[in-house]
Amino acid sequence: MAEPRVVERFRKRTIWFHWIHTAAFLVLLVTGAILFLPGLGAPAAGGITRSLHRIAAVVFIAAPVLYTIINPKMSWRFVKETFTWGKDDIKWLQAAPDYYFGGGESRMIPQGHVNTGQKMWEFITLFTGILFVVTGLLMWFLKDTLSPGVFQWMVIVHDFAFILAFLMLLVHIYTGSLHPRMKESLRSMWDGKVSRGYARSHYSKWYDEISKGSG
Amino acid sequence: MEITRRDFIKGGAGATGLILLTPTAMAMAKNSQTSAGKAMLIDVTKCVNCWWCYAACKEYNQLPETVKPDLEQPPELSPDVWTTLHPVMKDDRWVSRKKACNHCTDAACVEVCPTGALSYNEMGFVQYEKEKCSGCGYCAEFCPFDVPQMETNKVTGVAIMNKCTFCCDRVANGEQPACAAACTTGAIKYGERTELITEAEERIALLRQSNPGASVYGIDEMQGLHVMYILDDSPEVYGLPADPEVPPTTTLRSILKWLGSGLAIAAIAGFGLNYLVARMRMKRGEE
Repeated sequence: MAEPRVVERFRKRTIWFHWIHTAAFLVLLVTGAILFLPGLGAPAAGGITRSLHRIAAVVFIAAPVLYTIINPKMSWRFVKETFTWGKDDIKWLQAAPDYYFGGGESRMIPQGHVNTGQKMWEFITLFTGILFVVTGLLMWFLKDTLSPGVFQWMVIVHDFAFILAFLMLLVHIYTGSLHPRMKESLRSMWDGKVSRGYARSHYSKWYDEISKGSG
Repeated sequence: MEITRRDFIKGGAGATGLILLTPTAMAMAKNSQTSAGKAMLIDVTKCVNCWWCYAACKEYNQLPETVKPDLEQPPELSPDVWTTLHPVMKDDRWVSRKKACNHCTDAACVEVCPTGALSYNEMGFVQYEKEKCSGCGYCAEFCPFDVPQMETNKVTGVAIMNKCTFCCDRVANGEQPACAAACTTGAIKYGERTELITEAEERIALLRQSNPGASVYGIDEMQGLHVMYILDDSPEVYGLPADPEVPPTTTLRSILKWLGSGLAIAAIAGFGLNYLVARMRMKRGEE
């Protein structure tokens, strides 16, 4: 029996979740940035963007909650994957600059289902996601209760999370879709598949695992 | 394909740079900040608690009527109450400080307003354009005097800020603000700020002969308030913070904005460089 030329990297529901969460985040990003950067404030007049920010916030919170309820195992694996670090991750970090600047592929450390950089991005999404949601909900529902001093710090933490998430999102977009070496990464978040060659060269430990599993 | 990619990166970097640099231009354009201009001088020793300032404010600004307030339960500032009294019981009688926006020279609300709805008027007061207000409420949270007021719809987040306007249209026509015009005893004086400061200093020197605790407030606070006070006691007694300031969090926010914008531009430039170097080296590797 001929092996299929592609292997499954992401399941349909994961892909749906990824893009719904992306859409919600982009709306939050744009409607938030216009309040953060003074020169861009004009569209916020009248408060429409604030309503949009709240609608997107509901999606931003509901999507991961639903995903976790529907896929407890995969969600748990995601969290475990994010926080499982070993010697190979340190080696990856050391090898990454040369690798991303076009150095030889063979010098890269073998990686599992996601590489160390992706793990860091997963961590950033969890970390800033929690900061956004906690400070956001407090500012939304407890505006009249919180003391001005506490409210001011909520705004600052929300700003900080924004900067961190925005910068890392830029890195994620660049490495995920534009970097010359990551040719199949964007596609894999679209139809869930990557070629065997790509899987072998980018995620060899994971590729070995799934090849063994399928016999 | 590769050229398209490169163009895409270049275009993206340019556009992002432009967007991120807009705040500088805005910040440079906005300021007609001045410690001079028009001002009011409130003298608590002359106030007789008649509430005419309160009534005149409501009438002129077409704010909903309420019953004549009680000194024991004075109305709080609200979207419909732009001025009120802060009464203090002294030797069996009420002494009141009129409370409203102090129109700071260095105003936290203007600093934090994301839409430019709040701004400095060259005549010295802090003005706002209702149509530009997003209802974010930062002004209310960062004002050291707790002046800007708003009612926020919990679900949609829609809110409009309200506060004393210094009756800017009257002032622009050479008239006094409604509260000053209505004051029956001269407890609210309107005029050139520099002249009012001289007057305040003379008055306080006189008061201090019999009452060393008397104080004047607003000459230097917030780089100069456009509503200053003659007090027969310390500022705190009348609900005024002894040392008001633009909250340090305001400065921290500005730093974060610049830091964030700078890092984003640096990141995008870095990607462009990375892209070119990586592609070149990968091609060489293939050959």
